[in-house]
Amino acid sequence: MRVFSVLIGFLLLVSCAALPAIRQQEEVGGKKFECPSPFLREKTRLIHAIEVHAAGQPQTVMMGVTLADPAFRSLSCALMSAEGMVLLEASLNSDGLRISRALPPFAEGDFIRKMMEDIELIFFAPQGDPVQKGVFSGGEPVCRWHSRLSGWIDASAGRDGSIVIRNYAENGGLRRSVQLDVAAHPYAIIELHAFERIPYSLVMTLIESEAVQDDTLQQKESRGGSP
Amino acid sequence: MSSRKYASVLFILLMVLPSCVRADDFEHLRKDAARISTISAGFVQKKIMKILSKPLVSEGKFYFAAPDSIRWEYQKPVKSLVISNQGKTRRYIVSRGKWMEDRTGGVQAMKIVLNEVAGWMRGKFDSNPSFTAAVKEGANMQIILTPVDKSMAGMIEKIEITVSRKDLSVKSVRIIENASAETRIDFHSVVVNHTIDPSVFQDVP
Repeated sequence: MRVFSVLIGFLLLVSCAALPAIRQQEEVGGKKFECPSPFLREKTRLIHAIEVHAAGQPQTVMMGVTLADPAFRSLSCALMSAEGMVLLEASLNSDGLRISRALPPFAEGDFIRKMMEDIELIFFAPQGDPVQKGVFSGGEPVCRWHSRLSGWIDASAGRDGSIVIRNYAENGGLRRSVQLDVAAHPYAIIELHAFERIPYSLVMTLIESEAVQDDTLQQKESRGGSP
Repeated sequence: MSSRKYASVLFILLMVLPSCVRADDFEHLRKDAARISTISAGFVQKKIMKILSKPLVSEGKFYFAAPDSIRWEYQKPVKSLVISNQGKTRRYIVSRGKWMEDRTGGVQAMKIVLNEVAGWMRGKFDSNPSFTAAVKEGANMQIILTPVDKSMAGMIEKIEITVSRKDLSVKSVRIIENASAETRIDFHSVVVNHTIDPSVFQDVP
């Protein structure tokens, strides 16, 4: 059993060799270390204007509606043209992915699955405990998570108050980088860079956000029952 | 079917038809709308969807000059502009505070939509073979377009266009996608037949 644990530890160490080094640290500035966490804590509906950039040029602007429930890790989302034409509607929960509408090119390949993974990366805290806590060589606090499905996820806090979430493949290749300008609202401005065969980036500007009370909870409360 | 039953069905149809579809209604609309040379208006668009707790409201400005020049400008919450003039359609977006031409195929979809809208502004409600058109009389005239192709179910269930009796300008457009999703566009501050500077159909802000 011990040999097995050592082997797993060795494999993790080898596989993350290409990841940015983290210096283990229990305290930052005399305070107990806390992981940078912009992630949603309650069911929230967010509406963003989304600028799509590719080949260094802006391509189009869309509107995105996200209804995210971190407790159940469930998501519903809709993508609309600036004129309000619904291009895509999909939801993800424990039953799997459900696509209500997908107009071309959004119906092609595994676009929707990847989009849902991006939304999870942005809004949901990584599952499980961090495998590493500490600081980068520049002193930025960072926590690192690992899962078989998501690969490696780093959440680090910049000196300017921004939070950066990075997702790496098992071999250490950078897949996504998400920068959050958390000054006003954690999700006021989101910049996502996707390092795909054809790289692209999204700049998401918050239009509105609201906490959502669960319908069943509301119904119980309106009937005078306990939640 | 017996001749008696046949006569009953024919009688019911004749009773119903005057209130829903008559080719000469559309002919009248086309003739009367031919008097419209320009329209400028503001609009408020409300998008209703299951995922939204309240309608998503967009606002903008609309300009039309016969026969087919249109400027369709959204000012908030997301700025966008579609200009259709002399057979060319261009779509612009705002990126980092600057107007840029849209580089995706989205402009093609908007071209189809604007061609349709230009037709409505000229009273051509029954010219698209993809829809059946019916007229409903009331305080305002309502034209109901229903997709012929059943494969459009879930995309567009029907389109209701309300036309002012006073000047035959379009007052509102309601696009019903399904039981839980629709888009309603209400036009306000409508000005008919006032000169619109040609640059409106050429320039981005």
